[in-house]
Amino acid sequence: DPERYKFRTMRQSLSDAADVLDLQIETIAKIVQTHYDLSPSDFGDPSVQAQSEIHAVGRIVPDSTTTEEFLNMDSLALETSRMAGVGRRTRLDFTDIDEISLFCGQIVAIRGKNADGDSFKVNEVLPLPYPNSPVSTLDELQKCSAALEGKPLKTLVTNGPYFPCNSFDLHFLEQFTERVNSEIKPHVLIMFGPFIDVTNPMIAKGAIPHFPHLKHQPNTLDEVFTKVMVPILKKIRQDIQVILIPSTRDAISKHASYPQDSYNRKYLQLPKNFKCFVNPATFQLNEVFFGCSNVDTYKDMKEMTKGGNTSMRNRFDRVSEHILQQRRFYPVFPGGIKKKLLSTSNDGKKVYEHISGADLEVPYLGLTEFVGNFTPDIIIIPSEMHHFARVGQNVIMINPGRFIGHSGKPGTYAEISITGPDLENGNLTKVEGPEPTFLHNVWKRARVDIVTI
Amino acid sequence: GNGINGLEPLESTISDTERFKDVANFRLSCPNCSCSFDFGGIIASSDYTVCPNGLQCRKCDHLFTPLQISCQLERCIRSHISLYYAGWIQCDDPTCGDATRQVSVFGKLCLNNGCTGVRYKYSDKMLYNQLLYFDSLFDCEKNKKLELKPLRHIDDAHSSPEKLSEASIKVLTEQNRRLLEINRSVVQKYLSDCGRRYVDMGRIFDFMQ
Repeated sequence: DPERYKFRTMRQSLSDAADVLDLQIETIAKIVQTHYDLSPSDFGDPSVQAQSEIHAVGRIVPDSTTTEEFLNMDSLALETSRMAGVGRRTRLDFTDIDEISLFCGQIVAIRGKNADGDSFKVNEVLPLPYPNSPVSTLDELQKCSAALEGKPLKTLVTNGPYFPCNSFDLHFLEQFTERVNSEIKPHVLIMFGPFIDVTNPMIAKGAIPHFPHLKHQPNTLDEVFTKVMVPILKKIRQDIQVILIPSTRDAISKHASYPQDSYNRKYLQLPKNFKCFVNPATFQLNEVFFGCSNVDTYKDMKEMTKGGNTSMRNRFDRVSEHILQQRRFYPVFPGGIKKKLLSTSNDGKKVYEHISGADLEVPYLGLTEFVGNFTPDIIIIPSEMHHFARVGQNVIMINPGRFIGHSGKPGTYAEISITGPDLENGNLTKVEGPEPTFLHNVWKRARVDIVTI
Repeated sequence: GNGINGLEPLESTISDTERFKDVANFRLSCPNCSCSFDFGGIIASSDYTVCPNGLQCRKCDHLFTPLQISCQLERCIRSHISLYYAGWIQCDDPTCGDATRQVSVFGKLCLNNGCTGVRYKYSDKMLYNQLLYFDSLFDCEKNKKLELKPLRHIDDAHSSPEKLSEASIKVLTEQNRRLLEINRSVVQKYLSDCGRRYVDMGRIFDFMQ
């Protein structure tokens, strides 16, 4: 419900934030209890000494409040919920665990014993169950199939910034819109912000050049968007749906926290084929569910891993599985921050300038959970890391990469083609029930290309 | 946090000098000579002059375009908002005092044992005051009435030798009205979304349900 994203920002209360952090543990605890068929008495308080083995659910936190960087397996603690352990934190001992990947903010379910009152020795880590996939009825699928007229559903995904950090050169965007119109002709184009990145060094220096082709120079960054970028975006053909997902680094959004309200289409003078969605957004194109989130989970999730098999795996796959298991697009807490070292004094004290961050609005993190408790068919989370498209747990995870690279070189976009739902070729899995439904199996039917712009 | 720390006068009755005593200055950098300086409204400064057709850097005589000021203002506001959302937390107990971004499921409880309570280091009130301060710099009435917070103390070595007369400030304000209003609209964009500005009736009357 997009209305729920229209809260006022800059008024975060510590107790509201704590309520949400507590609820996250309780919610997963219930899921674990049902999935593993445990009774409430199997769970105990890991922070107190006990003779017997217990199950516990809690959040992975550092064992000291002041160390946030350079954590390892020996410096982690488990935070309990208010109900389970009065919110106490207990050091964790992972010596008996061979393979594991952990990060701060992760909710975990473990079995073990606190023998000396000092630390909880983990004997087993219970993997969190993956959420279910969405299904459609025969009727719905036939409608979707008919709408496509036998052609595959073609979707393009781009991610800002759309101009380099040293010039307002938009010719890449211009070339791209021409190719979209005449060559690629997608059904839908999903564009992630930032369109105007407030952390762009040109803006910090005030060094925005003159726009020679404009009679009236823009006075604000909002006007730079409406006068310089909108005319290019308007060239995209009317029959192509354009979906805009905001970024918290974007000057054209006044809502600078995540979860984030949508851009204001009318204020930004965008034409009618543009749809402004919230961040994160879950939506359906035909039968396919898309989950889009615009905070860099792939960069911010700093994992601590143990075991050869775990660390040998592709890191993006591990992070993707964490996202699915946690059922949230950005499960890292506290959120990532980006700072710049300004100076180091003689006594080694470092002075930093804050640049940007995940800007989490903690009391509203509930809005960043998977809608309806099922996993989208395709999850798109743009990242500064290398672009990729991978299938994990039957979900397609995509990072389209930046539209313009760091050095101003052409970047990439993602092109997704999904063949229409065909009941004949056996690509859809039937789920028996009073009314039979079908799994979409989009991962079997889709092809994702990462293309240089 | 949104608690009231001890006794405080009503927000509406305190003066701007008191309200803005802890705010950060608005630092502008000149796109031409890359020197940077604090902007304090239409006042005498050794770094910049406000002339009839805009803001001018004293070092290189570069005349700022409105966008060259407003984009820096917007980025400055956004870095304050982002710092607020970084959620740094400080313990009320002066002997504890280490800053952290860890939040307990009990929120106001300090994670080091035995402390009284914690709060956001950059509170929503501080952020709101910071935005109000930026707003005041581009407020024509406050500029004219010389109600702006002075940039530095008078005995500071940097202080400008020549003072601007009240009459010339009035004239300069009118001549730069459009420039001031453009920048004010940028601050207002964020003030309009700031939750502190609006009384949350639901929360106040929570007890009646």
